Amino acid sequence: MDIQSYISSGKLELFLLGELTVREREEVLDFAKRYPEIQQELEDLEETMFAFDTMTGVAPAQEVKNKIFSTLESDFILKQAPKPTAARADTKVVAMSSAWKPFAIAASIAAIVASGAAFYYADKYQERTNQFTALLQDQSVMAGTLNQVKQEYDKVDEQLNKFVAGDYKRVQMRGEGFEMQKDAKVDLIWDPKAQNVFIAVNNLNDLSDEFDYQLWAIGDDGPVGIGLVNEGEKLTRQQMEAVAQAGAFAITIEPKGGSKAPNLEKLVVLGEVV
Amino acid sequence: MEEVQIIAGLRAKDRKTTEYLYDKYSKALFAVISRIVFDKDIAEEVFHDAFVKITKKIDRYEESKGRLYTWMANICRNSAIDKLRSKEISQAGKTNTIDDFVYGMESQSGTQEHIDGIGVKELLIELNEDQKFIVEYIYFKGYTHSEVSEEFDIPLGTVKSRVRAAIQVLKKNVARI
Repeated sequence: MDIQSYISSGKLELFLLGELTVREREEVLDFAKRYPEIQQELEDLEETMFAFDTMTGVAPAQEVKNKIFSTLESDFILKQAPKPTAARADTKVVAMSSAWKPFAIAASIAAIVASGAAFYYADKYQERTNQFTALLQDQSVMAGTLNQVKQEYDKVDEQLNKFVAGDYKRVQMRGEGFEMQKDAKVDLIWDPKAQNVFIAVNNLNDLSDEFDYQLWAIGDDGPVGIGLVNEGEKLTRQQMEAVAQAGAFAITIEPKGGSKAPNLEKLVVLGEVV
Repeated sequence: MEEVQIIAGLRAKDRKTTEYLYDKYSKALFAVISRIVFDKDIAEEVFHDAFVKITKKIDRYEESKGRLYTWMANICRNSAIDKLRSKEISQAGKTNTIDDFVYGMESQSGTQEHIDGIGVKELLIELNEDQKFIVEYIYFKGYTHSEVSEEFDIPLGTVKSRVRAAIQVLKKNVARI
């Protein structure tokens, strides 16, 4: 392509004036990359425009500068910016600004104020971090509790479903006919189809540590132990082991852990399946 | 300070670099704005906003898409044009076309007084009438080249080549002064 005629087309000037479309800009940048002459011309033109602008311009008022830097104040990062590689160029910068002294003083004051602010906020930050950690711990405890509650809820819900869906027989076990505890009262419900057995202790005396109440299902094969009863848990449902067939249920007092066969001398309650 | 260092410093939000940028470029950038917005107070307001914008948007500046000064000058130029349009709208209470605001500007303030700065006459002295016209409209009145083309019925290609020729003369003059 004819580089000279591209350069003379006026496109580069318009590029610098920001007047080209995105596509045309891409084209100029692409050519500049490929043809050093175009790149050079672009740089020369920019220099010219900058020089022209500088020569024709008047510096904005000092207040404008102050205002700009106070607007930007919060953006400046306190730590030293990475040291420019050319130290010489750096010195020149300072020399260029005739008003560097008041600047240095202003900058020092700003730095002191900013350091104070930094310490203050660092402290605040620490405080907030601690609060946050504490909150996180609380939250994890609560999550644990919630999980526990949920599991209990699920269990109850499942039981409730069984009650609603099941065909339950209610067996009232009473102590009236026996010597042990005349006022003993335990209710039992049983779904023979699903084989679910629940009991609710209404009244049972507390036992010493060496003994347990044991529930028996009395069927055609004789009494079968179907679990230990927690006498302390009054009026709540306790699920016992599965029973498919039984004519009656009974509770005896057995040595801790229960026995294979019931001690009939210590029969507390008995209820027949109606 | 090299351009790369300036850009790195600005991105690092370094105060010293920002001050250097200000010292080196404020005059030129303010000139870009003042050519379009004649009211000094408003021009300073535009310059304030544009300079703050430059420092905040430095992360969006792409080195591969042109030099730093061009990028900054374009931000200033666009801010000035936006301001002028919004100002015209709020003053007149109606939506003006670009023609309105350009004509409005011409009547409010002549071009001549704004190019009277020291050295400017010398810079412009060797431009022929066509080139002077182009410089006035594009540089001093904020026209785009297509607006000049439509407004004065000059073919787009001619506008482009006159812009080119004018800047070539300026280039020579700038080098000479």
